[in-house]
Order: sequence, then structure tokens, then C-alpha cells
Amino acid sequence: MNVRAGRSTLPSPMLLSLLALLASPAPPPPIFTDRAADWGLNFTYSTGQTGELYFPEIMGGGAALFDYDNDGDLDVFVVQGHPLKPGSPDPGPAGWGRLFRNDLITPQGRNPAPRFVDVTAQSGIRATGYGMAVATGDFDNDGRVDLYLSNFGSNQLWHNNGDGTFTDVTAKAGVDDPRWSSGATFADLDRDGWLDLYVLNYVDYSITNNVRCYAPSSRRDYCGPSTFAPVPDRLFRNRGNGTFEDVSLPSGIGRKAGPGLGVVADDLDGDGWPDLFVANDGAASFLWINQKNFTFREDGLLAGVALNAAGKPEAGMGIAVGDADGDGRDDLLITHLTAETNTFYLNLGGGLFEDATARSGLGAPSLPFTGFGTGWLDFDNDGKLDLAVFNGAVNLAGAMGSGPGIASYAQPHQLYRNLGGGRFAMAPEAGPDFQKLAVSRGAAFGDIDNDGDTDILVVDADGPLRLLVNESGNRNPWLGLRLVGKLAGAKAERDMIGARVEVRRKGAPSLWRRVATDGSYASANDPRVLVGLGDASEVTGVRVLWPDGLIESFPPPPLRTYTTLVRGMGKAEGPK
Amino acid sequence: MIAIFLVLALAASPPDLSGLESAVAAQIAEMRSLADKQSTDPRAWGDLGQAYLAYGFNDAAADCFTKAAGLDPRDYRWPYLLGAAQQAAGRLDEAAAGFSRALKLAPDAAAGWVHLGEIRLLQGRLDDAETALRKALEVPGTSAAAHSFLGQTALARRDFKAAAEHLEAALAAVPEATRLHYPLALAYRGLNDRAKAEEHLAKAGQVGLKPPDPLLDGVANLRVGERVALMRGRVAAQAGRYADAAREFRKALAAQPSSVEARVNLGSVLALAGDRAGAVEQFRDALRLDPANVTAHFNLGSLLPPDEARPHLESVVSARPDDAEARRLLAQALRESGHLPEALEQYGKAIALAPADETARLGEAETLVRLGRYADARRHLEDDLKQMPTSGLLSHALARLLAACPDRSIRDGARALALAQAVWQAQPSAAHARTVALALAELGRCEEAAQWRRRAGDPEEARAGEGCRP
Repeated sequence: MNVRAGRSTLPSPMLLSLLALLASPAPPPPIFTDRAADWGLNFTYSTGQTGELYFPEIMGGGAALFDYDNDGDLDVFVVQGHPLKPGSPDPGPAGWGRLFRNDLITPQGRNPAPRFVDVTAQSGIRATGYGMAVATGDFDNDGRVDLYLSNFGSNQLWHNNGDGTFTDVTAKAGVDDPRWSSGATFADLDRDGWLDLYVLNYVDYSITNNVRCYAPSSRRDYCGPSTFAPVPDRLFRNRGNGTFEDVSLPSGIGRKAGPGLGVVADDLDGDGWPDLFVANDGAASFLWINQKNFTFREDGLLAGVALNAAGKPEAGMGIAVGDADGDGRDDLLITHLTAETNTFYLNLGGGLFEDATARSGLGAPSLPFTGFGTGWLDFDNDGKLDLAVFNGAVNLAGAMGSGPGIASYAQPHQLYRNLGGGRFAMAPEAGPDFQKLAVSRGAAFGDIDNDGDTDILVVDADGPLRLLVNESGNRNPWLGLRLVGKLAGAKAERDMIGARVEVRRKGAPSLWRRVATDGSYASANDPRVLVGLGDASEVTGVRVLWPDGLIESFPPPPLRTYTTLVRGMGKAEGPK
Repeated sequence: MIAIFLVLALAASPPDLSGLESAVAAQIAEMRSLADKQSTDPRAWGDLGQAYLAYGFNDAAADCFTKAAGLDPRDYRWPYLLGAAQQAAGRLDEAAAGFSRALKLAPDAAAGWVHLGEIRLLQGRLDDAETALRKALEVPGTSAAAHSFLGQTALARRDFKAAAEHLEAALAAVPEATRLHYPLALAYRGLNDRAKAEEHLAKAGQVGLKPPDPLLDGVANLRVGERVALMRGRVAAQAGRYADAAREFRKALAAQPSSVEARVNLGSVLALAGDRAGAVEQFRDALRLDPANVTAHFNLGSLLPPDEARPHLESVVSARPDDAEARRLLAQALRESGHLPEALEQYGKAIALAPADETARLGEAETLVRLGRYADARRHLEDDLKQMPTSGLLSHALARLLAACPDRSIRDGARALALAQAVWQAQPSAAHARTVALALAELGRCEEAAQWRRRAGDPEEARAGEGCRP
């Protein structure tokens, strides 16, 4: 070895760092890419901000992923806002919600490519209200999914006629609520085969009782919910003849007021009957336990889901429901305001939960942000449910963006990878389109391009719709299931909302998933079940707990494709 | 050189002061000017940082404290306040670093250990949280807050016994910290002691527990102007800290004596704290400044005797015809002042606006009884119970009517007894026991009726006078 003194052969520190940069491995490709514009989803949710700081301007809106034309791919409905004025005048077509049909093309040997076409005009939908949220469900069991729109003002139920058109049947069905509704869910709460309707209400606000509120700095800012009185929710029982009965009071639901922003129907106590969880904004959340006679008992406090572990009510907005720890029970993640954590409630069984935020890793990273749309999704199909949270401030305290008015409320968004054992870590490889600063509200989850991984449609306030397409999840094996059935003399099969699926795997624990469209914020998700299998790709069978209590098992479905399981076509294991 | 450049480049630009209340903007501008003039004085930067922190400009505050700490690395206050600013911004690693540095300089800054423990708990670093909080336990002033966070740390570990012990200790030291009853209830739930869990759930409220913290209390005291005081008063009122809220609203009034909002809010918290006369005075002053103020009218309507309350409540329903609560209060005032038909009309409107309002439904039935319309009262109560079958209030009212209605044709002793017993079982009380006794008396079961009157604690002479005939 020759060593020379006097002249260094070592590179300078600056050169070293440059070399290190050049030598470092390329960053992983982004998991999600925004393809909204490429695929024809050209839409901007308008808050209609007037400068008057009207409360609804910071709360909307949401979107639905649903197959309205039964052609096997997900179409899109998105609600719309507009400048609020006294008298609620019709804003005209530019201020209406929009329906986009998905004409999915699957070229030979190439990736499926959706093409969205705005079909609002021919659909007959005139969503004229100030739009907050959308719920989906086939309320008349005709095999065609219908739409319920929650508005600041009167709501609308649009019946799907099956020929690409919809009819406003709100008055006939008896399901309007003129107050400020922030969401809804369809669920068969009495297991009679007909989907009932829960309508979530927020606060008693009108633009004529607007109040001037201030930020900690003393600057004028939007008010929070505590400035106004909360409003009770509404429950409508499906009579099975196209009409509903308002059972809000006798069911118990209407006797408790709360500023609700999120609602899910799910069997949270494991007794086979759907319960209702309501995330209230700045007040104790409600857990309505189904008493099996169309009455409900509110049990959130003792159940451990009403407040966080410190006993504080938080600003509940979005809800993610799913079996995050793989024990067969659905857990809850609620998104909250800046300076509060998002809170992870682990389901202990028997209707009891514990706040597991501290040890999960989901709390601390969420503190600077105000979370809205959220969902458990297995973005890499490794068999474990990951978490996506879309953020956007509601006041100056959380503002991280630039620009006038609400634009300054923009925040980045978060994807968490499930590490197993109830632990999560941020997944920075989500990609710039995912993380882009925006004032996000609703997020709908589903497999838009039918390629076997979960995509996300995100509604940003005063920003273009984002369609975050999962580019890599389907590298791992997966199976897709659509669960349908005909109950109560239905005319056609419909999605069996409320069913639970157990996917049995060889050498690995079963995976449990729910059939649902609710959850997230103000939005409706793909009712199909997409199950990532990870390393344990040998499926030994599928067991379904149908919403009416029947349990059936089915042989292993083929992998990497969607299979329809029909109630009554499996091997009965008996009622639960 | 490079390091200096980087620090300057990373510093956030000073906050925009436009739109701030003039007193706040002037205060910050003055401190900013001082810091610019005395740019090597750590105190000047520290003071400016505290002003920023007081008004929620957390990033700017952090920049100032970083500068102050750079100029005087031995002063614990600057890393401490830097930790507080970072914690307020949700940057927990940086916050923990600030508090840790401060506590190396001043280990007796006990509140700092509590903040550090809270941050570690939020981060899920439970061992580190416990280590920090145990240091705070050694200082009497902060031990209650330390116990409360140690309880929550133990709860996160599912060590329910330790959680219950710490939370009981915190509540023993500060009984008014009602929020702690909730985690304590969860600890007892974990110990399978459901009775204790329910006992503490019933006591749970929203008053939290903070350690005494001279530095951060000093920051809070910097705040000037009406708006910030109003906002802080509202927050305190919502947490049930009425004395704190009243203090903030008085500050707002001192800053802006013509502030109707401050006066109305002050009146409201005085009323909630039990100072009825003080509250009425504030509301009347508010109406002198703004005769149409609906909230002042409403509050006077709920505080004054019926005859005086009526005009105020009429002003409210005139301004807000959809205000169900105001209509119910107006109905009550009308009933109590003998205007029964008018009361009935207002009750009807209140129920139409808020169908779940049991008090309005009860008031309507009571008004019908006072009008001698017993059959209507019974029909209304029966309809109400179809809507709200689990309502104890309405079940009890119907039981009383069926047991003791002056019009005997309305009575139904058997049904009254069934209703009264159900209400008693759900909520044993003297009033409910008396209703059982009345139903039994109506059925001629006098001995049992007398036993129930004894259970209700009624004196012998009252029992003798009930006129039960077997």
C-alpha cells in the first residue's frame, strides 16, 4: 500500500455528501397517484365562502363510490356547496352535486383504465341543497343502489330507477330533515331484510344566527360547535313499502342531542345485531346498543368510547371501523381537531373498549392536524389493516397553508402502516399526491379500477377532487368478495350491508372484514370486501355471518379476482 | 457561518398582525420593536416569545425562545418555554427536548416534569413518562397532577390497580378535578368492580387538573384585550370553571366596558355559580346597552319570577320563533302566573319544535290538569308515552293522574300501580314511593299504602289523612 503525505486523496466533506446523495438508493415509488384529471373526474367542491364565516363553509363535503348502473365498477357521486344566502335559493347547476359514470376499460394485457363521464343531467339528480354528505343503500330491495344526501337544510332521497335515472322520493318516503344534517347510514337494524336509515344531525345553526368568533390571537375566525346547541339525530324505520316511519323518539335516539359528524352501524358488542356509533364534535360520543326491539341504549361512557382516556370529550369527525388488531372484533379510530390526538379504541369484546392510542403510535403524529376522512385499508395487501387519515383545519389554530380564507387551513395527510400487535408507524412512501397540502374533508375508499387494491377518492374544500390510485397493492395476493342476497321477498339481490366475512387461511389467523358503505367522513365506500392475504395466500374457506343471523360457509374463492357470494348458496352452519 | 445562515433561513417570518384587536397588535408590535432594538438581549427575545405564545403564534414563539436560549444558555426559562411552544404546536420530540434541557438547568421546576411526563405518555413512551412523573411527585404542589398522569400511564399499561391508586390520590388532593373520575371509572372497570366504575362515571365532569406553573401562568397573564378574554372565558365556562370564567369576562369588560357580549357572558357564569342577583344586574346592564339582546332577555326570563320573566321571554320568541326552550319557559311563566290557555298554546308550540322535550310534555299535561281537562291530560300523557316509553318523568305523571285524579272516572289504580312500581324500580325516591302509595290506596290496599308512605318518610299525620278506604 502506498501512502503519500501532503496531498489528501480523500474527498472534501461537501463532495462526500454529494456522493452519498448520488449513491443512496432511489426513494420507493409512491404508493398513490392522483389520476382524477386523467380519468375525467373534473370537479371542485366549492365551500362558497362568502367572507361572513358561515359555519357550514368549513364542514363539507363528501363523496360516494357506488355501482349505480350495476356494470361491475364503481361510479362516483360528489356533493357540492355554494355561497350561502338567506332564503336558500337554488344555486343553479354549477352548485349541484354531480354524478360521474365509470366506463372502465380493461384493454388486453394492460391495466384497467376508468373513464369518468359526468351524467348528472341525464340522471335527473338535482342535488340543490348545500351538500354535506352522501349515503348509499338499496332501500327498496330492487337490486339498485339509492342515494341519500345530507345537507345544510332539507335532505334528499334519490331512488335509482335502474335506467340511469333517479327520482326524488324524499317526501313520499318521509325521510326529510330540514335541520343541518352531517351524514347518514343505511343499516338493517331490526334484521327484517329492509335497510333502515339513520340521519346524523349537527348543531342548531342558521346563517341568520351567525356569531362572531375569534382565534386565540384575537383575529376573527370560524366558530366551533360549542357556540351552538346540538341537535338530536333521527332514525327512520323502513316499512318495506317505499316509506319510512320516524321512530326517533320511541327508539331512544331522538332523546339525546349531540353535535354528530360521524356515524357507523356495526355489531360492536358481538351479539349479532347492528349497533350505532356516533362521533360527536366536542362532546361525548354515543354508542347506541341495539336492544333487538328497535330501541337503543346509549352506553358510550361505560363502554369506554365516549371520551378519551383522560376523560376529555374530543372533536369527533371521521370514523374508521375495522379489525385493526386481527382479533375478529371491529376497532374504532376517530379523527379529531388540531391539539387533540386521533383516538384509537380497541374493541375488547362484550361491548367494552379501551383507548389504546398511547401505545399504538397513532396519537402523537396526529396532534398537529385536524382529521376528517379516514379508513382502515390494507394498502399493501399484507393481511393487516393500515390507516389513512385526511386532514384540514377548521380554524386558524391549525392553518398550515397559504392563500386567502379557507385555503390557509390546508394540512398534509397521513398513511400509517400496521406493524402488527396494535402498533402503527407513518408510511412516508404514500407519495406527494397523497400528502399534498389541502383542506380535506370526505374520503371514500374502494377499488375504482378493479385491480385488487384499495383506491381513495378525496374531497378537498375549494380544491379539485383527488382520486388516489393505489399503484402497487396488488402485488400481494388478494381476494375480492361481493356479498349479496334477497331478503324479505326482495325483487332482486342487493349488497348485504352488515354481513361479516371470515377468510380462513392455512397456517395463519383468519381475517375478518365487514360489508359496509359507512364510516370515514360524509362519504360512502365500496360495499365489496377486498382482502389482502400477504404471505398466507392459501385460503381454506370463507364463512359469512349474514345480517339476518344466518351463518354459511363457502369454498375458497379464486384469488386475484372478485367473486360474488350469494346468501343461501353456501353451506349453512346455523343461525347465530 | 453556515450554521448561522441555516438558523436564519429556518426562522419563520414574524406573524402578520393584521386583523388582530388593536390592543393585542400594539402589545406585540411594542415587544417586537424592543427585541429589534435590543437584539442581543435574551430577555427581549424571551418577552417577545411569551407574547407570541400567549396569542397562539407558536412557531414565532419557538423562534424567539431559540434565540433567547442561544444568547443565554444558562437560563432555564427559554428552553422551558420553547418546550411549551413546541408542545402547543404538536411537535412532541422538540417539546420533550426543550423541557429536558430546562430540567437539566433547573431540576426543581416541577411543572416541567409533569409536562415532560405528559408528552412521553402521548408518545407511548410509558417508562419515560413514569420516570418524569415520579420526579414531580416529590414536589407537593405538583404531586396531584403527577398522580393524575401516572394514573393514565398505568391505565395505558392495563395496570388497573396502580391506575386506581394514582387517580384516587389525585382526586383526594383536588376533589374538584371531576374529569379524573372517568379514567378512574375505567380503572375500576378493569378491576371488574362495576359498582365503583358506575359510581365514578356518575361523578365525571369536565374540570381538569393542571400543575401550578409560574412560567406559563405568567404567559397567560400577558393577554390583553376583549376578544381573547372572551374566548378564554368561554373555554373556562364550558369546563365548569365558573370563577375563572367570570374573571376573564371581567377582564374583557375592563378592556371594553361597552361589550354586551362580555356582560351577558359574565351574567351567565354568575348565574351558573349561584350569584343570581349579580347575574340579573349584568343582564339588565346588557339590555341597557342593547335592548334587543336575545340572550340577555332569555336569561332574565329564566331567572326572574313569572310575571317579570314573561315580557323577556315574549321578546325572545318574537325574535326567534323556533326557539323551543324559550317557548317552554314562556309557557311555564304563563302557567305559573295563571294564564293557562296561553300556556297551553306555548307548550304545544314548544313540543312541535322539540318533540323529545319531556319537561314541556309534562308541563302541558299539568296545565291541562289545572284547567280541569283531566281526560285530555290522560290522553296526552298516554300519547307521549307511546313516543317515549322509557320516560320516567312522564310515566310518573301518568301514574299520579291515574291514582289520584280528582275526576274518579279517569282513575285506573291497577295501571297506576304498574307504572308507579316501574318508576320506583328504575329510580327509588320519596316522590316515587308516594305515588306507589297513592296507587295502592286507590286499589283499597290501605295497609300496603301506609307502608309505602312510611318508606317515603311521610309523617304519621300525613299517612293518617290519606283517606284510604279498603
